[in-house]
Amino acid sequence: MEQSVNYLGLIPLFPLLGAVFIGLLHVFTCNRTKLPEKVYGILACVGPVLSFVLALKVFVALKGLPAASRFLSHKAFTWFSVGDLHIDMGFLADPLSCLMLLFVTFIGSLIHIYSIGYMGGDKNYGKFFAYMNLFLGSMLVLVLGNGPVVMFVGWEGVGLCSYLLISFYSEDRANVLAGNKAFIVNRIGDLGFVLGMSFLFWGIGASGFDYLSLKTNISNLEPAIALTVCLLLFVGATGKSAQIPLYVWLPDAMAGPTPVSALIHAATMVTAGVYMVARFSFLYAGVELAGNIVAWIGMLTALLAAIFGMFQEDIKKVLAYSTVSQLGYMFAGVGVAAYSAGIFHVFTHAFFKALLFLGAGSVIYALHHEQNIWKMGGLKAKMPKTYLTMIIGAFALAGCPPFSGFFSKDEILFSALATGHYGIWAIGVLVAGMTAYYTFRMIFVVFHGEPRDRHAFEHAHDAPSVMTVPLIILAIGALFAGFLNLPGIFGGDQIVSHWLAPSLSEQHPHASVLIEIIAIGASVVAFAIGFKIAYSKFGQGAPEPTYTGFADFAYHKFYVDEMYDKVIVQPYKAIGSSIWKVIEPNVTDAPVQGVSKLYMLLGTAFKVFQVGYVRVYAIYMVLGLSLMSLILSQSLN
Amino acid sequence: MFADGLFIGFAVLAVLGAVGLVLFRHPMNGAMSFVVTLISLAGLYALLSAKLIFALQLIVYAGAIMSLIVFIIMFLNIQPSDLPQEETKLLYILGGSVVVFPIGLFLAKIVKSLPAHSTEIIGHNFGGVKEVGLLLFRDWLVPFEIVSILLLVSLVGAVILAGKRGTTK
Amino acid sequence: MIHSYLYLSIILFCLGIVGVISRRNVFTVFMSIELMLNAANLAFVAFSRVHESMDGHVLAMMVMAVAAAEAALALAVVILLHKHKSKLDTNVFSLLKG
Repeated sequence: MEQSVNYLGLIPLFPLLGAVFIGLLHVFTCNRTKLPEKVYGILACVGPVLSFVLALKVFVALKGLPAASRFLSHKAFTWFSVGDLHIDMGFLADPLSCLMLLFVTFIGSLIHIYSIGYMGGDKNYGKFFAYMNLFLGSMLVLVLGNGPVVMFVGWEGVGLCSYLLISFYSEDRANVLAGNKAFIVNRIGDLGFVLGMSFLFWGIGASGFDYLSLKTNISNLEPAIALTVCLLLFVGATGKSAQIPLYVWLPDAMAGPTPVSALIHAATMVTAGVYMVARFSFLYAGVELAGNIVAWIGMLTALLAAIFGMFQEDIKKVLAYSTVSQLGYMFAGVGVAAYSAGIFHVFTHAFFKALLFLGAGSVIYALHHEQNIWKMGGLKAKMPKTYLTMIIGAFALAGCPPFSGFFSKDEILFSALATGHYGIWAIGVLVAGMTAYYTFRMIFVVFHGEPRDRHAFEHAHDAPSVMTVPLIILAIGALFAGFLNLPGIFGGDQIVSHWLAPSLSEQHPHASVLIEIIAIGASVVAFAIGFKIAYSKFGQGAPEPTYTGFADFAYHKFYVDEMYDKVIVQPYKAIGSSIWKVIEPNVTDAPVQGVSKLYMLLGTAFKVFQVGYVRVYAIYMVLGLSLMSLILSQSLN
Repeated sequence: MFADGLFIGFAVLAVLGAVGLVLFRHPMNGAMSFVVTLISLAGLYALLSAKLIFALQLIVYAGAIMSLIVFIIMFLNIQPSDLPQEETKLLYILGGSVVVFPIGLFLAKIVKSLPAHSTEIIGHNFGGVKEVGLLLFRDWLVPFEIVSILLLVSLVGAVILAGKRGTTK
Repeated sequence: MIHSYLYLSIILFCLGIVGVISRRNVFTVFMSIELMLNAANLAFVAFSRVHESMDGHVLAMMVMAVAAAEAALALAVVILLHKHKSKLDTNVFSLLKG
């Protein structure tokens, strides 16, 4: 079934080694003569590029195999073996993980190259690239892992790197707090993931705890446990991929450098949850209720985040809520059992969202770290390359045909409609319209009209080519990636869906051509309406609005963060504080100190007998002798 | 019969002397009554046919040790103010007797269980110098030598303890 | 009867203990100790009479020799104590307190 190859283990190894090496270099030189930035830049890109080359090799190897047996595996070493649980540090390359591998390493390499320019001048240049390589290595472990436990290693690793990179500008306390928030909220999700894994192991783990064994044994799992596992694993996904209720960390995570936002919080880490559901498609396909819950939570998150995105003023926050919203789409896709549609949207979203983030980074870089869109304007004259690429990304995000986003989003909505999930489809169409609106609101406010801050405008210039070339490459991807999964109605072959089929337990819905046309038509109409409203409000330049009523409520993100703080965080802190102040001194410290006090007391009590007069000591002796003779004379009788 | 009467007399004197020792305030009075006790004890030894011990008791104990004690008592020139004020003496003695009573009772019980034996005076081959000497220099030679070293040590110690100190106070 | 001698020995011994624990005068204490030794001597000699062997007598001699040695040293200590505090009270010397 699988072939064993040795180079699979090298794919995550190269970036990890790079991280260690760059990290050591940074640690040993940061207080002495600094190495030139070029050195770090080149070293940092070696790992990701090599991994991309190996990923291509994996792709070629898989293509050479017949479709049913496209599995390459590699067991690096046995990690541990306890009772029935035997875990190897093993890697599995099948069509699904190969697809993920390709775009993760490709976009990862591009963003590393972009960062060489963006992070120039930062005093922790080396540390940044060490963390980025570490992240890429962990993400590759996650994608390539041959079982839930190895995936969890990568899962935790990317969570750690997310924290390290969000708090990268650590002089500002707010950034550190944002990193904390990301890590802690992630952790709550991870608890769900671990519980899910445990239940899964309890159910069917005794005969091997890797994907292939689980897939063959899945029919032995009781339905109740299967539902529990699905829901618990999804809790983990809500944490990692920012769905309701654990999405609150992602907007705050924009405190990190923009390449971090592009790589981690748009293209790769946040899609890990979707990847996980797709990986466990053999599990979710059998539990329709879990799929429905996943789809509904996904679509509701999409709606909520789109509402928030329509009112944000920070360019990165608009994109962050957009990411949450698109992730909701992906979960809706895998929830209605259209796993390949969801993964395809992951694939296209990686391109255009990374493109939009890097473009935003370019704008921020040009305006010297100004992020408020109401201080921008008219930049299309000054930054043509950025403008052009961002327009392409915006059309892709909004779902305008023939850009990539249209095909992937449409596939999801069509699957929802074809499997009878009318509510999800309807909300999906509404959110598509809202997406178009907020995306082009951002584009028009930033690039069109009159500049709102003359001074910043004068100094703006387009980014250096080390930053614009990745933008162009990503734009090409955002333009043409859609054609990889062209549905039959347009004359295509659905290449990606067929490629992914051996990895997923998917049943493609058969729907009439009428349904397809309704779906496509609704998407296009929604896009057009959204675009029109945005153009009419902002196309000719508009002043900064003041928000009242519902708009103000949405601008403040429905006060969800404040509610979490009041209902969960403060009581938790109060419990901790009361334990520290009340329980610890009295319950845990008191007996320990009490014992020592008891001994001191006993000592002081016995000190009474040491009077210092020898006569009294002689009396003690005689008393003892007298007592002894009393006792002995009893026994004599 | 005559022996019985002697025994009772000596015993009463011994006990009275001992009581006097314990009760008298001035140590000189106590020393004198102690001497009475020692001499009656010597008589008791004689009644037990212990000729040598009888002589040694009188020579060593009553003669040497007591004279040493009396000499020191007189040497220190004790004034009534030097003596401790023992107001609670009687109380302590009563308490002490109560504490000591069980010990005595226990010992008495043990003694009661011993077989009886006559105490007739033996003249020959018992208690004389020859018999004690034979035993002393044959079976008990080593303890004898050690005791002589002990006496030497105590002699040296007494000289050092009570002698005039050169440099120290 | 030999028992009478032993009872007498016990009485003298107990009187000696009482003297040691209830009096504060140094000399009285010392002489009470001698009294106890004598009571033991009497017991030795009585038992020697019972068994009709000389061992008891020899031991009584040893006891006497030890008593003599002890008397010498004890009196030397008494002289020193008197020189220190010019008091003959055992309660005065309480440096061992604590």
